[in-house]
Amino acid sequence: MLELVPQLLFTGLGIGAIYALVALGFVLLIRAANVVNFAQGEFSMLGAYLMVILSGALGLPYLLSVPLAIAAMAAFGVLFAGATYWPLRHRGQLPVIISTIGASIFLSNIVLATYGPSPEVLPALFDSPGLELGGVFMDSQYIAIIVITALLVLLQFLIFERTLLGKKLQATSQDKEMASLLGIPVAVMVLITFSYSAALGGIAGVLVAPILFVSVGMGALISLKAFAANIIGGFGNIPGAILGGLALGVVETFGAAFISVPYKDAIAFALLLLFLLVRPQGLFGEKISEKA
Amino acid sequence: MNAFVISRRRLALGSTALLAAPHIALAADPIRIGCVFPSTGPAAEAGSFQLNGARLALAQVNEKGVLGRPMELVVEDDQTTNPGAVLAFSRLSAQRDIAAFIGSIRSTQVDAMAPDVLKIGKPMMIGGTSPTLTRMGNPWLFRCRPNDSYSGKVIAEYGVTDLKKQKWAVVYSTDAFGSNGAKALEEALKAKGITPVLMQGYTNQASDYTAVVLAVRQSGADILGSYFTFENDLGIFARQVRQLGVRIPWVGSPSITNTTALSLAGPALHGTYGVADFAVDATPASKDFAQRYEAAHRKAADNQSSWTFDAVNLLALAINTAGSTEPDKIRTALLGIRGYAGAEGEYNFDANGDGLRGYNIVRNDAGKIVFIRRIDIQE
Amino acid sequence: MSTTAQASAVAPAAPAADTWRGLPGLALAVAAVVAASTFAPTSGYILNIVMQAATYAIGVAGLVVVLGYCGQISLAQAAFFGLGAYGVGLGTADFHLPFFVSLLLGIAVATSFGVALGLASLRLGGHYLAMVTISFQQIVTLVLTNWISLTHGPDGVKSIPRPSLPGLELDRGDRYLALCLVTLMAVTWYAWRLKTSRLGRAMQAVRDNEIAASTCGIDVFRTKVLAFAISALLGGLGGGLFAGAFSYISPDQFAFGESIVLLTMALLGGVQSPFGALLGTTLLVLLPEWLRFLRNIYLAVYGAAVILIMVFLPDGLWGFVANRLRRATPIEGAVPPLPLLSQTGATSSEAALVITGLAKHFGGLKALDGVDLTVRRGAVHALIGPNGSGKTTFINVATGLYRPTAGTIQLAGQDLTAAPAHERTRRGLARTFQNIRVFRGMTVLENVMIGAERPGNDIAEQPVLVVSRALAALDFVGLRADANRLVGTLSYGHQRYVEIARALAGNPHVLLLDEPAAGLNMTEKHELGLLLRRLKGHGLTILIVDHDMNLVEQVADHITVLNFGRRIADGTPREVLTNPDVIAAYLGEPRENAVA
Repeated sequence: MLELVPQLLFTGLGIGAIYALVALGFVLLIRAANVVNFAQGEFSMLGAYLMVILSGALGLPYLLSVPLAIAAMAAFGVLFAGATYWPLRHRGQLPVIISTIGASIFLSNIVLATYGPSPEVLPALFDSPGLELGGVFMDSQYIAIIVITALLVLLQFLIFERTLLGKKLQATSQDKEMASLLGIPVAVMVLITFSYSAALGGIAGVLVAPILFVSVGMGALISLKAFAANIIGGFGNIPGAILGGLALGVVETFGAAFISVPYKDAIAFALLLLFLLVRPQGLFGEKISEKA
Repeated sequence: MNAFVISRRRLALGSTALLAAPHIALAADPIRIGCVFPSTGPAAEAGSFQLNGARLALAQVNEKGVLGRPMELVVEDDQTTNPGAVLAFSRLSAQRDIAAFIGSIRSTQVDAMAPDVLKIGKPMMIGGTSPTLTRMGNPWLFRCRPNDSYSGKVIAEYGVTDLKKQKWAVVYSTDAFGSNGAKALEEALKAKGITPVLMQGYTNQASDYTAVVLAVRQSGADILGSYFTFENDLGIFARQVRQLGVRIPWVGSPSITNTTALSLAGPALHGTYGVADFAVDATPASKDFAQRYEAAHRKAADNQSSWTFDAVNLLALAINTAGSTEPDKIRTALLGIRGYAGAEGEYNFDANGDGLRGYNIVRNDAGKIVFIRRIDIQE
Repeated sequence: MSTTAQASAVAPAAPAADTWRGLPGLALAVAAVVAASTFAPTSGYILNIVMQAATYAIGVAGLVVVLGYCGQISLAQAAFFGLGAYGVGLGTADFHLPFFVSLLLGIAVATSFGVALGLASLRLGGHYLAMVTISFQQIVTLVLTNWISLTHGPDGVKSIPRPSLPGLELDRGDRYLALCLVTLMAVTWYAWRLKTSRLGRAMQAVRDNEIAASTCGIDVFRTKVLAFAISALLGGLGGGLFAGAFSYISPDQFAFGESIVLLTMALLGGVQSPFGALLGTTLLVLLPEWLRFLRNIYLAVYGAAVILIMVFLPDGLWGFVANRLRRATPIEGAVPPLPLLSQTGATSSEAALVITGLAKHFGGLKALDGVDLTVRRGAVHALIGPNGSGKTTFINVATGLYRPTAGTIQLAGQDLTAAPAHERTRRGLARTFQNIRVFRGMTVLENVMIGAERPGNDIAEQPVLVVSRALAALDFVGLRADANRLVGTLSYGHQRYVEIARALAGNPHVLLLDEPAAGLNMTEKHELGLLLRRLKGHGLTILIVDHDMNLVEQVADHITVLNFGRRIADGTPREVLTNPDVIAAYLGEPRENAVA
């Protein structure tokens, strides 16, 4: 069984990169608006269906469709914030959580009513299925996912650390009151975060579509796992989300190979429960403090 | 399914569509058949195919009428859920003039309705393929598709006799359909003195099958049998099978031959074999049905429509033979049917209520489904 | 006993204290339903639909308890429902146990998992808890699907019998329906009564403000575990009856999506009231019938409705109507005054609160660094210091919200250093907060009743006296007329009085006031000063933290000054306020805060 380890590791990292990518979208919203978005998976689903419309039904070139789909998702993010977050922003976490659950039901069923339950096919980025290296087959789409996730993380780091916009976003996520006292338009910053988070979700959807196909349910399980990755990594912690995602991907792939395939998801969720009970602050920790 | 797509409220009931045949004007009261089909939920599209098949047969039947009366379908929506089916059936069973029922293609829905069917004591034609349905002592269930024990037997027969393979790996969904099918295949192989080298279950909507494919590769199997419920799972699995270098022959359950699977998996399924309860080229009756269906609906016929087509025809035949709409008499007449050539195959109902005992073997020839042969199991 | 006389004096004012309130209504409803059910059909659509609504509503009542009362999100109610259902299904069909034994087994399994989830809520709230419950839900579904040897896997459990009690014929459709409806009504009555019980108020306090709840003597953790346990119990009960009603169950009926359905039922009707839950369940059971024309976008409309409910009807339909009908009628009737008022004050030399060497380090930051402080019985002791000197940290450590790094805390000679916050309150420590922490979802009276119910208080176990004590505390702060108003509708200053009344109703040995003048206007500050002097006159021991030197000078017998986490002065006001170190520490502070 040991000779399987490299192959399982590659797949685990590929799956983990998907979780990490979706988790990245989650984590920004948590930081900026303290919103746990249960419709994050539907962002991915919508991104993929936009590709089906743009490159499939309208016949636009793939490379033009991708930026269009992502831009549309960015716009959708603002709309989403206006409907689910804005009216409830002063009422605490629970109402927002529930309204994003409502949004998730709404979005997936609108798409279900339009496209039906049969999955759609979206072509891969590359014609080549992948390459074999020392007995390990590397799916080209997984390579793309790993590389693009890494690039996005880098890009995000640069934006946050090296630009004024990034600093303002950070200030907003750390202390809204202080940020607004400093003249930062907090509302705009929160909307930008929603928009960026939706765009990230869209990118994730476009990337996983060639692997998982485009279906109404494609984002749901991934987003649950990404959420779990967030908690394992430390809520609201960006490096934590990335590492949590990768760790979860690897653990469940190995768990499936060496423990049980049908209970693969149970392994993932059990790991999460364990983390929640033993180390709720996650690998990297979340700053939790409440002033009495 | 999407974890966030919730099952439609279970108490919802679809519209009661009264589909009296338009072009026959028999004065007598119609003979009414209650149908439980999905018109909402994930299987809504499949439900429309089932209705199409039943209507096609109804038009044919009503050219002559049944006992001099027209036949009529009363349809209730099962919302693609089990409780939905129970409620749909309870609405139908409240209408005392309904002579017989056409139930669901989903085994769990049939299971859920079965106690009520027994209570009401009228025949129900079903499409669910779980072998247990007709073995639980309910005398009113009549199956218009071959059950999964036969698909298992046919897969085993073709793999062992025609392809001459002995080392089997079986991959199956752990849902009702997959686990029952795999059980039947395992038993059929054991009957041939073969113990599979691998029985590997997976949960629906798993996004990655690396561990499964590697287990198949490690097992040293020389043939793969599979029971996949959802086409997207099959598509992901098929691609990984090819990527990870598994090149053994593969005989799959019916989903491997359907249009969605073909478009999702593309070349990854080329050269695979599948069993199908309905194949256009299998018999003259199936060819005839396929032509009529395409003419009427401009769509290729499939097994969703073929079994309801047969169900309506069989009920008409049985009621005519019985000369009455009394449940016991219809039941006796159904049990007496021998050699009826339906779209799904030749019907001979056994004491359990199973009408068919065979499947068609088809092959995916570069994306085209080619009929190879029909295997009927003699018992 | 004189208490009886007191009780009758306030009887009209204390409806909430009647343990058996609503029981005649319940009995009447039960009789009506049993009578009506004899006309119910023994099978068929109507029977099925009503049975489904009834069993679901029992599960939804569980959500009212855990989410509505206790404010803990649970996305696993369908899992508890399923555990109850499988208890009945497997117990009767496979193990041939009697129906009610199986039902109890199912409920026991569901409840124990509920307790386990409640334990998880020890350190987790909000999104964490949501995730824990989702994980639990997913694991239950996976186990029900894959543990085929026990659960029959996805095939589900068939031929589940109904109970056979001789003479009752409960296996008949109409009789079984009556059983479900009677259970539902008992559950609804129980959940309704729970809300105005001591436990129910504790749950709502935990929901509204955990920190304040713990300083009111409520064991937050125990309360949450109980809420989860009751919720799971009701889920299991509903599920068990559901299994008997439909005689067939399968794992997909208890999946995550169904948890969302149950949650939506609760939210639509109003999660604050079991009647709301009943209404929501009935509506969502009937809604598909009415929305039939929507066909395949039905669920999309459903999702949109969830958002709209959250935005426009945060309290659900029932809550919307109840809020409209709410009349904040004043409560009439004289009550005996606070026991405190029968005392007169004099500072004794006896120490009430002794704190020695108290230190609290946050990482490298020494917020408190070895502070000694002794509050004498009957004295008003002020703790002052510039911003960031560690005053609030001191109170938080003293009341048990923070664990000290070093030092000891003694109240009336008993060591409290290791005791949790609610335990300290039980021993007689009470406090108010700098930024007001009242229980916003509750009325003024209920807020103060929670204070009166402080464990360890003399009348805590007597519901009738709790009400009269709370009214007495409101009399003292002059808010009796507002007793039935929601506390959130009061002005900031009055909310502060509610906090003080809440503390006073508990008849504390020592009262800690954390910047009581913060955010008050001049008039309110003046009134506060008068109030504190009255308290002092009756000999209540007070430790007050404040910036407002006017207030401190008015009331303090003794002043301790902190700076950078250390005690820099301690003594009578005159001594302290002329101390050069103190003056130096305050230099640069704005005039109004500076020492004269």
